[in-house]
Parts: sequence; structure tokens; C-alpha cells
Amino acid sequence: MEFTLKTFIFYGFALITIASALAVVTVRNIVHAAFALMVTLFGVAGLYVFLQADFLAATQVIVYVGGILVLILFGVMMTSGRLEMRIHIERGQLLLGGGISLALLMLLLTVIANTPIWKNLTDDGTQLAPTTERIGQLILNEKFLLPFEVVSVLLLVALIGAALISRKEVRD
Amino acid sequence: MVVPLISIILLAPLAAFTLFAVLGLAKRNFPRQDYLSTFAMLVALGCSLLLIQEVTSDPTPLTVEWLSLGSVNFSMGFYLDSVTVIMLIVVTLVSSLVHIFSIGYMHGDPRYPRFFAFLSLFSFSMLFLVVSDNLLGIYIGWELVGLCSYLLIGFWFEKDTAANACKKAFLTTRVGDVGMFIGMMMLFAKFGTLSLHDGTESGIFTLVEGLSGTGDMVWLSVAGILIFCGAVGKSAQVPLHTWLPDAMEGPTPVSALIHAATMVAAGVYLVARMFPILTPTSSLVIAYVGGITALVAATIAIVRFDIKRVLAYSTISQLGYMMLAIGAGSYVAGLFHLTTHAFFKALLFLGSGSVIHAFHAMHAHHDDAEHPEDTAHEHDDNSLVHEHGAEIPPDQDMRNMGGLRHKMPLTFITMLIATLSISGVPFVFSGFWSKDKILGGVLGRAMEWSSVHHYILFGMALLAAGITAFYMFRLIFMTFFGEPRNQEMHDMAHESPWVMVVPLIVLAALSFPVVNTIWFNKDNFKPPKQPHIHAPQHAYVSPDSKIGDANFGFSLFGVSTAQAAEEDAGPDTAHADDAHHIHHLAHNIAMVLSICVAGLGILLSWLFYHRRRFSAEGVATTFRPVYNLFWNKYYFDEFYDGVLVALTVWKSRLFAKFDLSFIDGIVNGVGKVTRDVLSAFIGFFDNRVVDGFVNRVAEVTWAAGGRIRKIQTGAIQTYLFVVLGGIVLIILIFRLF
Amino acid sequence: MSLQHYLVISSILFSLGIFAVLTRKNAISILMGIELILNSCNLNFVAFSRFVTPAETIVGSEVFRFDGQIIAIFGIVLAAAEAAVFLAIILAIYREFGSIRPDEVDTLKG
Repeated sequence: MEFTLKTFIFYGFALITIASALAVVTVRNIVHAAFALMVTLFGVAGLYVFLQADFLAATQVIVYVGGILVLILFGVMMTSGRLEMRIHIERGQLLLGGGISLALLMLLLTVIANTPIWKNLTDDGTQLAPTTERIGQLILNEKFLLPFEVVSVLLLVALIGAALISRKEVRD
Repeated sequence: MVVPLISIILLAPLAAFTLFAVLGLAKRNFPRQDYLSTFAMLVALGCSLLLIQEVTSDPTPLTVEWLSLGSVNFSMGFYLDSVTVIMLIVVTLVSSLVHIFSIGYMHGDPRYPRFFAFLSLFSFSMLFLVVSDNLLGIYIGWELVGLCSYLLIGFWFEKDTAANACKKAFLTTRVGDVGMFIGMMMLFAKFGTLSLHDGTESGIFTLVEGLSGTGDMVWLSVAGILIFCGAVGKSAQVPLHTWLPDAMEGPTPVSALIHAATMVAAGVYLVARMFPILTPTSSLVIAYVGGITALVAATIAIVRFDIKRVLAYSTISQLGYMMLAIGAGSYVAGLFHLTTHAFFKALLFLGSGSVIHAFHAMHAHHDDAEHPEDTAHEHDDNSLVHEHGAEIPPDQDMRNMGGLRHKMPLTFITMLIATLSISGVPFVFSGFWSKDKILGGVLGRAMEWSSVHHYILFGMALLAAGITAFYMFRLIFMTFFGEPRNQEMHDMAHESPWVMVVPLIVLAALSFPVVNTIWFNKDNFKPPKQPHIHAPQHAYVSPDSKIGDANFGFSLFGVSTAQAAEEDAGPDTAHADDAHHIHHLAHNIAMVLSICVAGLGILLSWLFYHRRRFSAEGVATTFRPVYNLFWNKYYFDEFYDGVLVALTVWKSRLFAKFDLSFIDGIVNGVGKVTRDVLSAFIGFFDNRVVDGFVNRVAEVTWAAGGRIRKIQTGAIQTYLFVVLGGIVLIILIFRLF
Repeated sequence: MSLQHYLVISSILFSLGIFAVLTRKNAISILMGIELILNSCNLNFVAFSRFVTPAETIVGSEVFRFDGQIIAIFGIVLAAAEAAVFLAIILAIYREFGSIRPDEVDTLKG
């Protein structure tokens, strides 16, 4: 695999993603963590681009960064009203959690390394983008219409449920 | 036609009984049970007469498979040969007449319908016994007639004597039935079937031929004697005869039907039916038992004063006669005597019933107030019923009778005819012919084979014949002749109503051979082709059983003795001419001798009891020991009471003591040990071990729960730790192995 | 850039997410960990769609490999719904317990 600009950029995105994710799980300030998460989400969006998924990358940015992350920040602000935004981590729990996570990572890496059909699958260079039209066709016109509708209902229900749960109890 | 006729014969009386039983269950009396039962019997009689035309000499059994147990099949079926038909006619005829008689005799009895229902049940059972083609059916009928006998002897069960008599009859016959059952089982074990005749499979008679000459003859003898045991009980042969005199406690029509004409004859019928399996040994045993019975019962009858007891002992004696004939090989003669005896003995009993009825205008046989002594005695549970002079009901005591011939002319004449018949008055009366045939047959055997046994048997039979004539005329003289001994009762006496007299007249007519030819069509009555054992040592039986197509013995009604001799000799014996000659001679000698002894007996009786030339009391005093022996019936009852009953009681007491002291001791000891030791131990065990164990388990569970509870932290992350750690572990395990 | 590159990245993201979920003492941090896990899953979907899915959806001369992408879109939608509900629950818990520390919310403790 020759080392091209594209490769460089890819590794760059990968590095950003992993590093920011690491920051998400390590930094003590929860607001900082939220911003680190934003970087991670951007990084993932970049990786999507490398996978010829431009619509998805845009969605990732819009929904995650523009929606979920804002939601999280709202949550942070609403629950940690005082300056209790620092995250306490117990040492034992940290070690145990780290061990388990590391073990999972090792397992996954072993599986990835040892699965023959996944080896040497390189990008064949097929140009898919722009994908928006095709995805629009698939979702609204073709085989994913039903899942799309189901997901819409699910989203609606989730929003209603969230509103119901989070509202203040009305005392009669 | 055979099947429907037999069905009607069997079902008619059964239906009459069933109606009674159903109504009885409905707590409702059927007022005309008497007419119904009588009608049923008349129907059966008519069908029996029609059946005569259907008889063949070699019939096929009408068999149906009844019960299959594994590879063993029990079949139920009918067998119709001339013997069967004659028995059917005898049973239905006598039964019908007894039914009619009972309408008068039992009139006013509180259990009047029940009596007729029982008579119907008895008739059905007896007919079933007669037509069955296998031992199982015969046994079923056998026990059913035993049951009916029990019910009818104890019909007036308020009387202690009747209640005890029916128990005695039932238990005594049961002794013989056990033997019969064992004999049946022996045959069944050997042959695997209880069918007598060849049907779907080979019957006993065919199979038994294969045994001839083999070592199984001893075994077969034992089986034959055991089956004869049943007949000993049922036909009241010595030593099981004691129940029959006591059975006179039942109503007199019952005595006439069951204990004179039919049920007691069933034993004879059984032995005649089983004739082909009888070996020389068993035949001889049967003959001797019959001969001894004939003699013993006849001598006892001489000294009785109860009119019914005289007839009862006479019946036993005559049954012994029949057994003797069959045992001596003249089974045709035995059956012939069975037939003639059924008619004249039923007549005698009904006649005596008529006399009793005359003395008993109040119809209060069963009224305890009239016979206080009936209830007063027999309080000792250990002793069975037996007759003593003081216990004879006054209306049955011949010492209260006398001169009745003017009061009851029809009863007198009919009973006289029967007496002449049983005494063997020659030529006109059927009893003469049948008795002569037996005597001739036995003498013929004796002469043909120079057998000492058969000479002895002939002597017994001859002596019994003479005694029979004597005591029967004693009865007639004491009852109907002379002066009234009890004027008060004599004045009360009267001739019986027509409904009772007509059966007497019919039966009297049947005591004449010539009348019997009306129903007896000799062309139809071939002797049954009885298979037989070909063993050489059995040869003396073979002539009679091989009479082949010669006329059946019943053709002797009005036929000469010469023909009887022909039959005894048989057409196909090796020494046919010699045998013919000997049997002719034997029959002639026997006839002369029997006429002589009968005449002698009648003469003596006339001298003793009519002319009063000799004093019976004087003779009794002179021969006191002999008289006592006769009067006490050879001490059979005393023997049974003193030995068997006492032994049983002693044994029972011993067992009771054994039970009380030993068994109860063991039981109580075990109980004590259980209570004091075991329960304490088990209580300890329960308290400490079981409860301890249970408590330990509970404590462990409690403690474990207390600890494990802590796992449930309620903190989500702990759960997640465990879940993920578990996943890692599982995957690692799968990776490693 | 082979498939394995993407898979390694997503594995690392996944492990970090798990780590966050297991160790963080703040419900919102846990939510962030979950978002990381979801992202790693989406990344996997898209990567497999790109590299492994056979070219079965052919329109004219064009080869379309969109199944994974569309699943990822649904995944994003789910993540949005989940985040909304999660935050609502967190608000409710906060109102109830005055805290969003998961180890303090232990009413179900045995």
C-alpha cells in the first residue's frame, strides 16, 4: 500500500477520531468531554467520506453534531447546574473497566486479524458519490420504505416519550 | 329347530325368575307369579317334547366360544342326544306338575310368589346343567341347583331346623363339589379343554381314548373318582348323604322336585355323562359306594316314623341303586331307573305332601307357635340338625296317621301305584323294569367275568330291593290302612283340592310303562354313541357302552327282558354269543329273584303292619343293637357331630387360643416394640436428623441469600461489569478450547 | 485503506465507549460512551457495505452498495431517539434523586 496523500489524510482522520474518543473517556470536565465527542463525530464523518458515503457523512455532522451533541450539552447544563461538572473516577473501577475494555479490544483485534475473508479487502475505487439521490430512492421509493416509516414512528414515539418523561409533574 | 327350542326351554323359566327379581328390586310383588312360572314350565315342557323329533344318535354340539384366556378357550354349548332329551322331559314334566301342585300346597304362604320364582330359577339351572356340552357349563348349573336347593330348603327360614338344614345341605354338598372341581381341573390340566364332545376342537371323550392302555389310567381313575365325589355330595351317597333327610325341612313340593326327582338325580346324570372316562377302578368304587348307599339308606328307612324321612332315605337308596348300575357298566339301566324313579318318587313326595296338607288345614308349617319344639331345640351351635322321634312334626308323623284311604282315596290310590312301582311289582309298573334291568345287568357282569365284586354288588342290590318293598309298604300300611291313631287329626283330614290331585294322577299314570310310550318314541331314542376306553382291562365296561344302534334302554317300556339282555351283551363283542347267552340267563335269574324279594318284602310288611301277626316293637326289642343302629342312622350324624364338628370346633378353639395367645402376643409385642422403641427412635431421628437437616438447609439458604443479596447492588455499572466480563470470559473460553 | 483499517478504528472506538460506560460516574458521560459505541457500529456497517457487500444492486452500469449506509442512517436516527429518551430519563432521575451519579441511583439494591 503506497503512502499517498489520501492515505495520509485517512490516517489523520483515524488519529483524530481515536484521540478525541480517548479524550471523551478520560477528561474530567464533562463539557470538555462533550466537545471532544464533537471532534470524534467529525472524525467519523470524515471516515464516512473515505468510504464513499457522502450523504451519511453530512447526516452524521448534522444530526450528531447539530442535534445530539447539543442535546447532551443541554443535559449537562440542566443536571449539573452548579460547578459539579468534574467527573469522579474511582481507581479500582477504572482499572477493572480498563481491563475489560482492553480485553474486548484484544478480542476484537484478534478476530479482525484472524478472519480470512476480511484480509486484503482493499478499496476497489468504485465511485459511488453522490449518493443522496440513490439513498432517497431507496428510502422513499424502494426496498427501505417500510423500515423508514417504522423508524419514523419509532422516532415520534421516542420524542413523545422523552417529552412525557422529562416534563414536570403537574400537581392537580 | 334345535337351537330355538333349547333357547325357549332355558329362557322361559329364567324369564319367570327374572321378572320376579326385577319386580322384587322394584319392591313390588307380582301377584300371579305362580301362573307365570307354571306357564313357563309348561312352555318348556312343550318344547322338550318337540325336541324328541330332533334327536339324532350322533349329534353335533352347538358350541360358542365363551371365554378366551391366552391360548385356552372355554366354550359354552349345548349337546342334544337322547339322554339329554329324556332328562329335559323328566325335569320339565316333574317341574310343571310340582308347580301345579304347589299352587294348592303353598296357597296362603306369605312368600308365595318367591317360592315360584325359586322354582323357576331351579328349573332353569337344572335344564342348563342337563343341556351343557362341557364340564364348565355342567358345573355352573351344578352350583346353581345347589344354590336353589339351599334357598328352598331354607324357604321357611324362621324355623331353626330349616335354617340349619339348608346350611347343612349347602356345606355337605360343597364337600363333594370340591372333589368334583379338583377332578375337573385334573382333566383340564391333562386335556386343556372342558368340552366333553368334539366340537371346534377335540373333546375330552375323544382325547381320553388316546390314554387307554397307558400309565395314565391310574391318574384317570383318580380324576373319575374325584368327579364322582361331586355326585356323592349332590346325590346324597354315603358318606355325604346326611343332608338329604334334613332337607325335608323344606316345603314338600321342593322335596319332590329337587330332593327326589331332579337335583339329586343330577349326580347320577353326571356320572352317566362322564361314563366314557371311567376306568375299571373308578367304576368299581362308584358301584360299591352306590351299593352301600342303597343298603344303608334302605335299612335306616325301615325304622323312620316321619313320612318324609322315609321317602328321603328311600330316595338315597334308589340313587345308590343308580350309581351301582352305572358303576357296574349298565349306565343305560341307571339312567332308565333315574327316569322311572323321578316319576314315582315325585309322586310319593307329592302324595305325602297331600297327606301333610290334609293334616294341616291351617297351612301353618312354618308357624312357630304350632311347633314350639322346633324353635326350642338346636340351640347348640355346634351340632347340625338331625331327626329325633320327639322332633317329628305331628303332621308328618306316621304314628298319627292310619286309615286315611277312606278320607283321601285319590291320594291313596296314586301313592299305592307309586309304591308298587318302587317295590318292583312285576310287569305292569315301570319301577319293576328299571330295577330288573339293573339287577340283570349287574348279575350279567358277575356271571360273564366271574367277578366276585359284582356278585357282592348284586347281593347288595337284591337285598336293598327287598328292604325297599318292605319299608314302602310299611309306609302305606301305617298311613292309609288300619285304624286312625289320632282321631282328632283324622277328623280334620280331607282330600286335597284338585289342583293338587291332578299332578298326582298324571304322575301315577307315568308309573305305568304303557303310558310312557305316548311320549317315548323308541325309533328316535338311540343310545348315544359314547366313546370309550379300549384298554383290555376295561373290557367289562365295553359291552354296554358299545351297544351301538341297539334300542336304547328306555325301549324297555313294555318290552321283554330278553331285549335288555341283548343290549347288555352288545352286538360287537368278541364273545358275542357267549355274552348273549350269559346275559339272557342273568336277566331271567335276576327277574325271578327280584320278584321273589319284592314279594317277600311286601309279605313281611303286610304281616307286621297290617295283620299285626308280628310285633315290630318285639323285633326291635329282640334285635336292640341293630334297631338302635338303624334308628340312629348308623350314627353318621353323631359321627359328624362328635368327630368332624367337634374336631372342627376343637381345632377352631385351638386356633383361637393360638390366635389369642401367640398371634395376638406377637402383634401386641410388635405394637409395644413399635410404640416404645421404634417410635422413640424414629422420633429422635425425626427431631434431630430430619429436622436438623431441614433447619440446616434453611439456615444455609438464609445465610447464602443474605450474602448473595449483596450482589444485587442496584448500580447499573456493576451489572454491566459482570455482563461484559462474562462475555469476555465466554469468548476467551471458546477461543481457548 | 483496507477493511481492516476501518475495523481496527471502530474496535478502538467501541472499547473506549465501553470503558466510558463502565467507569464514568456521570450519566451524561455514559451517554457519550454509548454514542461512541453507536458510532463504531455505524462505521462498521458502512465499511462492510463498502468492502464486503457484493455488487448486487446494479442500475445500468452503476454499482450501488447502499445497504450498509442506509442501516447506518437508521442507526443515527436511533441514536437521536435514544439520546432524547436518555436525557429525558436523566432529567427525571435528577429530579427524583438530585443526582445523576449512577452509583447513587441504587433503589433496587438487594
